[in-house]
Amino acid sequence: MSVTRRHVLAGSAAGVATLASGLARPAIAASEPIKIGFLPALTGPGSSTGVAINRGTILAVDEINAAGGVNGRKIELITRDTQSDPTKAVNGATELTRRQKVHVVWGPLNSGEALAATPLIARDGIPQIDPCWVDTLTDVKKYPLAFRNAPTNHQIGAAANRYVTDVLKLKKIAVIGDTTGYGTASVETYVGMLKAQKDVSVVYQGDVDASNPDLKPELLRMRDAGADAIMPWSVNAGFLSRIINTRGDMGWDVPIVGQTTLGSGQTKALLSKPEYWNKVYQNNFLNCSYNSAGQLVPRAAAFVERLKKANIEMGDTLLWWIAIGYDTPHLIADAVKAAGSSPQDIAGYFNKLSKWPGAYADITWTPEEHNGFPDNEIVMCQANSLRDGAFNLAPGYGA
Amino acid sequence: MIESIVVYGLAIGAVYALIGITYNVMFTASRVFSFTAGAVGMLGGVFGALFINRLGLPVVVGFVLSLAGGALVGVVTEVVTVRPVLKSLEQHLYVLSTLAFALLIQQFTAIMWSTEPQPFPRLLPFGPGLLDQQFWIPVLACVATLVGLELLYRRTLVGRAFMAISEDTYAARAIGLPEQGLRMTSFALAGAIGALAGFAGGEVLLAFFANEPMLNFYGFVPVALGGMGNNRGAVVGGFALGLFQQAANFLVGGIFASVAVFVVFIIVLLVRPEGLAGAAAGRRV
Amino acid sequence: MADGMTSAPRPRTAGTGGQGWLQPLLPFLGLGAIAVCLPLVGDSYWSIIASRACIYWILVSGLNLVVGFGGQIAIGWVALLTLGAYTTSVLTAGTVTPAFSPYLALALSGVVGAIAGVIVGLPALRLRTFYFAMTTLGFATIVTQIALAWQSVTGGGVGVAGPVFPAPFDSSWGFYYFCLGLASICTWMTANIAASRFGRALVAIRDSEVAAEAAGISKPMLLVVVFLFSGAVAGIAGGLFASLQSYITPDAFTFDLSVLFFIAILIGGRGSIMGPLLGTILLTVLPEFAAPLVAWSTFLYAALLLVIVLVIPGGIAELLDFKNRRPLERHREIIPRPELLTDLLDANRKGTPLTLETITLSFGGVRAIDGLDLELRPGEVHGLIGPNGSGKTTTLNVISGYYAPDNGEVRLNGAVLAPKAPTTRAGHRIARTFQTPRLIGGASVLQNVMIGGSVDGHCTFAEAMLMLPRHLRDEATLRRSAMAALAIVGLDLLAAVRADRLQHSELRFMEIARALMLRPAFVLLDEPAAGLSAEEIRRLGALIVAITRTGTGVLLVEHHADLIFDICDRVTVLNLGKVLAAGTPAEIRSHREVVNAYLGA
Repeated sequence: MSVTRRHVLAGSAAGVATLASGLARPAIAASEPIKIGFLPALTGPGSSTGVAINRGTILAVDEINAAGGVNGRKIELITRDTQSDPTKAVNGATELTRRQKVHVVWGPLNSGEALAATPLIARDGIPQIDPCWVDTLTDVKKYPLAFRNAPTNHQIGAAANRYVTDVLKLKKIAVIGDTTGYGTASVETYVGMLKAQKDVSVVYQGDVDASNPDLKPELLRMRDAGADAIMPWSVNAGFLSRIINTRGDMGWDVPIVGQTTLGSGQTKALLSKPEYWNKVYQNNFLNCSYNSAGQLVPRAAAFVERLKKANIEMGDTLLWWIAIGYDTPHLIADAVKAAGSSPQDIAGYFNKLSKWPGAYADITWTPEEHNGFPDNEIVMCQANSLRDGAFNLAPGYGA
Repeated sequence: MIESIVVYGLAIGAVYALIGITYNVMFTASRVFSFTAGAVGMLGGVFGALFINRLGLPVVVGFVLSLAGGALVGVVTEVVTVRPVLKSLEQHLYVLSTLAFALLIQQFTAIMWSTEPQPFPRLLPFGPGLLDQQFWIPVLACVATLVGLELLYRRTLVGRAFMAISEDTYAARAIGLPEQGLRMTSFALAGAIGALAGFAGGEVLLAFFANEPMLNFYGFVPVALGGMGNNRGAVVGGFALGLFQQAANFLVGGIFASVAVFVVFIIVLLVRPEGLAGAAAGRRV
Repeated sequence: MADGMTSAPRPRTAGTGGQGWLQPLLPFLGLGAIAVCLPLVGDSYWSIIASRACIYWILVSGLNLVVGFGGQIAIGWVALLTLGAYTTSVLTAGTVTPAFSPYLALALSGVVGAIAGVIVGLPALRLRTFYFAMTTLGFATIVTQIALAWQSVTGGGVGVAGPVFPAPFDSSWGFYYFCLGLASICTWMTANIAASRFGRALVAIRDSEVAAEAAGISKPMLLVVVFLFSGAVAGIAGGLFASLQSYITPDAFTFDLSVLFFIAILIGGRGSIMGPLLGTILLTVLPEFAAPLVAWSTFLYAALLLVIVLVIPGGIAELLDFKNRRPLERHREIIPRPELLTDLLDANRKGTPLTLETITLSFGGVRAIDGLDLELRPGEVHGLIGPNGSGKTTTLNVISGYYAPDNGEVRLNGAVLAPKAPTTRAGHRIARTFQTPRLIGGASVLQNVMIGGSVDGHCTFAEAMLMLPRHLRDEATLRRSAMAALAIVGLDLLAAVRADRLQHSELRFMEIARALMLRPAFVLLDEPAAGLSAEEIRRLGALIVAITRTGTGVLLVEHHADLIFDICDRVTVLNLGKVLAAGTPAEIRSHREVVNAYLGA
């Protein structure tokens, strides 16, 4: 039933198995810890994601070690704070692969950092799992050992676009992003995807400095262009809350559909009025969404229980961040347990992974496809329904 | 649209103007421009959010404490970063010491407060709409500050002493003015004005550590336009900048608006380095 | 190992003589040896950190000339790194243009950086310090914004892949040696510039712009070449940075990085090469050791900067400058040796008079000079006396071009001297001293004096940078002349001492030595005897007279009536900007109005 129990049971069973087979191996390898190099941004702008993922990751590692480790080997988590700075990410990645000689790298967690660090990790031949959305981060030719256990930007945008055009049936769309790498890249990609659809028109497209205190000009321009939905792409809560507030102040009644941060507690805190959060729909993931009965899927519900028991803070963050942080060490542990700890062992296991049941999602990788997130688990939710880091599904989803 | 440009442009322009006045008051007292002008502006917003939202103090108390906090930072600026380097003014060490201190404040805020923008409390129950308090409070604060300073400088003895010092430090000292005390008072006053800028504009700018470099730059533009030490010039320059920036936001939008502001700033500086209203530099030899 | 590429830099710092040339090189050689042997540690993680230090130093070495030597507060230099990184990456990728070889792309980013360096730097020619700092800050923001907006070229927020250099520089240690080689070349070049007349001129405009102008140093010309150089190396550093990062996005170019470059220089110490080099290494490597403190790193840099500015403004370089901490002899006597003047000046020069014709100048309604006529003859001492505010120094400033008269002109050799153009006076062989000595405090006495000969340097910036023969000849000549000038005024034993350690009276004689470097047709002395002892005044008088005997004309503004009447061939008395009396000392002494008004008998 519970993810936790599955891991624990499997862990101890496999532990016995290695004790037997381990005799044939050099003693050092059998007792040597499995090093996971972890590259979160724990400080600096955009660190709220890193902080949440870090909570899940630590919980998972503690859990695995408390259960005796993997085949008797402890997991050692070596963390380097990247401070949301790509230069620090490059230094950190190199330290992990060359000096610490880690078995797997988990991260970086921000796109700008991952773009710089991934080629270096690939060059050093270390398997890598990252949760960043930028599409070019997985490429089985260039980075044969890099795997993504999160959706790609393309998948995220497709889900949001689908919701606007197919479920809400809105055809005149305003797409806005901030001027960060993430914002500009998303706007560019999603506008292209929208334009490719027949009878859909993008009536406004813009990148705005996230620190710009006034977004009214942009929203007026959207309204003048006849937009009937706003799609914002930014991870900046200040920026997103300004869009929501301005819409509210203008008394303009169009839905806002877009980035997951639209539903974060940070965004909520910055709203002028609570009701401004109505008709805001943000990306979310099936496992971290309440159905019409207000319940999570059983696997996720058990995970939340587990978090509560461990006293993990959830009120100030999002469930899926913790979930992906929690899944990754377990996934690595499973790979080492089943295949061994050499890069080829781990990558070989990952390449055959099929519907690995994580708290976050079912992950499937093949030798040709290292994007493991299933399309159908990306959903839209109602921002104003935040509870324990999870949300109600938006109207029109299944239930 | 035009009313939105005006209302918003004046509001943000008033914040820039107040930061400009902060620069000026420090400059008048010491012949020094300080990077902490933007820092106290940023802190005005953070203090407001801290005292009123987080500690739950009444608005008036929070307001007074915020200004007091700004004044304290002003005094520390004077004692730590200005006084020790005043004797070697021509070496421009003050640029470095105030930059260092401003960076310290910014980093400390980022780490101890937050790297995310935090909400600023609503002060009065007016709004929303064009007459929303977030638009007229900064303008009110700016006009009140300008009038107050004019009265102070022209009508009171202390104010005249301030002016005497700015005209000629040595002569002022020679006639027995407590030059050091007056300078410290000026910096306290400047700190309070900067904090007022951040507090009055809090709802627009939020309590956000990264406001510091933004205010440092946009608050300096009015000084460059209006001429050093000229408060009326700074107010006019601030409003002009706010309106121009807002018009550029409406007309060209996005990234190009900030590029436009910057280009205009550079051109004005290169054509008239002493400011649109300022006089040419005096003798050097 | 010790082949051309990897060998340590060989800078030439200004010493006093031929001996001991090796000593200043030792730190560089030691550092170079460590750098070359670094791969022996085996841990190739260090290759990344060390390459990063080299790349940052390539940028900082150029910026050091702007900030550390020139004193220009350029805090937004990351803009040029960004530009270089994108230029190299985009050209190598071949998405916009045909694909370039990475080496060619790197060279081109140097060119782009040089142009951009001038654009970013131009405001410095017109603006005050703080204003300039603000504009560089603005540039840093704008360049990032443009990188984000110009998606078709820069890839916008998704960025572009950095260049990969072909073998042998494709491995991490190979790339490190490539960076180290370029860093060594930059160290060598900037050390050459620092020790040339360009380096001295930069320090001069930093410490005393007025003195620099009087020596004929044109700030715009000088700064433009320095910005070109500094921009070029910053552009190249950007290309290497892109390769090291392997992939660049606008968020890699943070303002913190700009702060790091800037602070590295100030921690290192202004006017030094070794100091900023150590500063750069320190700031690059330190966070790697202090991982728990990493969140506080910018905070700590800022704290370090504050401490440095307030406590040791000279930075690391001052701490390492043992030579200037040795106490000087307490009771020093200045004994000029006028007999040596012929070593420097040709005796029996024939010149033409310098004339002022009906000069009028007002400051906001006050007539400072009111229709003044004056003739200075070669080979004569001309005294200019009068009560305070009578226009003596103002007259001097008109002659030396700091003030433009409202009416009238200054003529030499029949030609009108351009008003308001102080830098042209040195070319006319008109030298001056100042009421308060304008010393270049951070430079040695010898360098202070060599500044005076700036207009006699012939070599170009490039020649100085590469230490070509003409530069070496220039330096040898200037050094010989400066030593001669110092011997004449009696300061030769203090040549190597930092000028700000000198006593007031010594500074007065140092200024005269600096003026002599021009082999002047005319010297304008502004109260040279102020603050001197009676004995020193006597020696000064003898020196001034000896100078005129070689054919130089002297204009002497003084309050010491004894000195004036002892040595002047001719005296003009000013009152309220007008000539009260003019004539030989004897005539003036008996002039009734003068005696009443001024000499106060």
